Amino acid sequence: MVKIQKTILSRVEGEIELKLIWEKGIIKDAFIIAPNFRGFEFILEGKPILDSLIITPRVCGICGHAHLMATVNALENLYKNAGYNIEISKKANLIRLITLSAEIVQNHLRWFYLFVFPDLLKLETYTEDLSEYIPIKGKQWQKAIDFSSKIVKVIAIFGGQWPHTSYSIPGGVVCDPTTFDITESISIVDSMIKYYEENIIGMKYENYLSIEDYKEFIEKSDKDLSKFLKLCFKHNLHKIGKAYNRFLTVSNIYPIFSQGATKRKKYNFNIKKLEEIDTYSFLTKKGIDFNGKKYSWAKAVRYEGFPYETGPLARRINNKDKLFLNLLADLKDTYIPRIWARIDEIIKLLLAMKKWLQEIDIKEPSYIKPKKNIKELEGIAYGLCEAARGSLIHKLEVKEGKIKKYDIITPSTWNLGPRCEKYLSPAEKAIIGLDNSLIAEMVLRSFDVCSVCTTH
Amino acid sequence: MKTLLWIQGLTCNGNTHSLLNAENPSFYDIFSKIKLLFHPAISSDEDLIKIIKDITQNKISLTFLVVEGSITKNKSFCRVGDFSIAEIIDQLKDKAEFIIAVGNCASFGNIPALYKENTNVVGLQYIFTEKKGLLPPNFKTKSGYPVINISGCPIHPAWFMQTILALYYEKPLILDAFNRPKEIYMYLPHDGCIRNEYFEWKEESEEFGHKEGCLFYNLGCKGPLTHAPCNKILWNRTSSKTRAGMPCLGCTEFNFPLRENYFETKKNIGIPEEVPLGVSKRAYITISGVAKSLRNERVKKKLEETD
Repeated sequence: MVKIQKTILSRVEGEIELKLIWEKGIIKDAFIIAPNFRGFEFILEGKPILDSLIITPRVCGICGHAHLMATVNALENLYKNAGYNIEISKKANLIRLITLSAEIVQNHLRWFYLFVFPDLLKLETYTEDLSEYIPIKGKQWQKAIDFSSKIVKVIAIFGGQWPHTSYSIPGGVVCDPTTFDITESISIVDSMIKYYEENIIGMKYENYLSIEDYKEFIEKSDKDLSKFLKLCFKHNLHKIGKAYNRFLTVSNIYPIFSQGATKRKKYNFNIKKLEEIDTYSFLTKKGIDFNGKKYSWAKAVRYEGFPYETGPLARRINNKDKLFLNLLADLKDTYIPRIWARIDEIIKLLLAMKKWLQEIDIKEPSYIKPKKNIKELEGIAYGLCEAARGSLIHKLEVKEGKIKKYDIITPSTWNLGPRCEKYLSPAEKAIIGLDNSLIAEMVLRSFDVCSVCTTH
Repeated sequence: MKTLLWIQGLTCNGNTHSLLNAENPSFYDIFSKIKLLFHPAISSDEDLIKIIKDITQNKISLTFLVVEGSITKNKSFCRVGDFSIAEIIDQLKDKAEFIIAVGNCASFGNIPALYKENTNVVGLQYIFTEKKGLLPPNFKTKSGYPVINISGCPIHPAWFMQTILALYYEKPLILDAFNRPKEIYMYLPHDGCIRNEYFEWKEESEEFGHKEGCLFYNLGCKGPLTHAPCNKILWNRTSSKTRAGMPCLGCTEFNFPLRENYFETKKNIGIPEEVPLGVSKRAYITISGVAKSLRNERVKKKLEETD
């Protein structure tokens, strides 16, 4: 008998429903439904070009800073496409990377402790003491809130506030930091590194980074990440949640992220190979359509016709990180590598932030005014950015000083969008074949669900 | 124990994430005092639909109903299970002691209310500056307060926390003309701005990227005409937009998304179209003229080069 089960997911960003089709105790099909739609792309139409810097961060309260960076990149790309060389100082570029990284670190910490860990409390029927991880009351839960709030102070130092600053503009950044702003930021990063070492990996970061064999790490460490992984193995979670083994990263942040599309081998990313498919989306090229088989506001996005997974695991694979190549060889692209990659990324970002902070030369200009007024430009441009959840793409078309069209493809669209005629989305595929609805939810959460971005 | 239920309409989650940054009290501190019935991003075992049912059947008493996000009756654009957000509010509105709109979306519709395909996006009691939101203009909760608006895109966590705590300790709350807590919205971002010396002496920034200069005259800063204590209660307890060199966007105001060209100041024959609150255009011109004619040598220099 076929049974249909619909669940409203909590502990995700925004509203997501999971519709599962059961047959003989096995999930035969899974539909990820994003039921809310605000219409940001349409709201942007007709607005003055620079106002996009104010509006797009408000797509998402979690990774709004990444939207700001994607918009800035798109606007600077617009200058380039129109034949004007736009100059950015090294200082401005470093500050942008630092604040973007701070937001990603914030996201990963909150996601791990607020969204993911509580699932294990449900699985583990209190044979082990996990009271430190109970929402609101647990000590480790509370620390995650404290430190995720601490790292975004770095964004406040350079950008005034987090969430929702628009401090980065074509030509640079608006701030003019002092030496002491930089030393305070370094101190924040240092305290984050110490927190990470003492609470998450349970060893010095140098030792952690030298580990290439995942079993070695799990044996050597007894802190939160290792505790989590041990529980995962205990509950057989190393076999669940396999997606397509195809990984996409759209922008380079040396030395931690490298652009590329990997399916067995790594290829260069080419934006022209990307397409959006609306067969199962309410939102179509011809307007809104609620007919029968359509089930989500999100569109499907494909690269060379295939679904790709984007996000921290994709970044580790595209960066040819040994620990993760080994994890993938053993466990495939499943629940554990996907989650570990997010936690792993925190330390890589923090170390990069520290290096970048030390490289800032405050004597350089923060902002170099573009020689041409942006209102005089016309054309099409792309802004690429690696956000917390993966590859973020903004495309804009401007005419007569106004935005004519704006298109946003978020990381969640790649991972959690609907199916196309040929393929399910990576998260839908990862859920099929499971025999437990809690585990299905957990697999979905391993992609770091953000419905506000999925549909915008 | 007093209780709090957090629900979301059309939202970016920015107010939730801002609130997680709270200090004194922190997010977990406040919920040792007040029982959190449900929050979509935090709750683990609780079932929202059952909680709503229990409240309507008086099995659970509801002290604070907190709403984040714009409101719509149209289920095609926003749904919580089988309900629209408007239907949920309708079921709970007479049960809650206090209803609090967090952020500009719940207060007055904000950016989602600009979307033309869904024509009924509103705030709880307002749509932009008009009192034509979901609930009638004269609506009051059991406590006698209208919907308490904590405006801002996003809110500062302290604005929410101190409002909740004042009500928790049964302190009277004075509200302004838009039903916002007066003690928060009686300040302007201009108050406490570290660029005030430049404003006084009319040393205007010509471009971004400098510590020096006032952002009001050329770069679109709405600090002197916005209600918000951004330079009294600093963001992330660290800084503010104007301190960092970014113009105030006026994001606590009810017409925030109706404005355009946020990075420039609209002027007529050299006079800003909007002058600081409480000042006439004539007074602004006079004082600007006087300030410019009486030179302050300090504001002409880079800060590092001042005496």
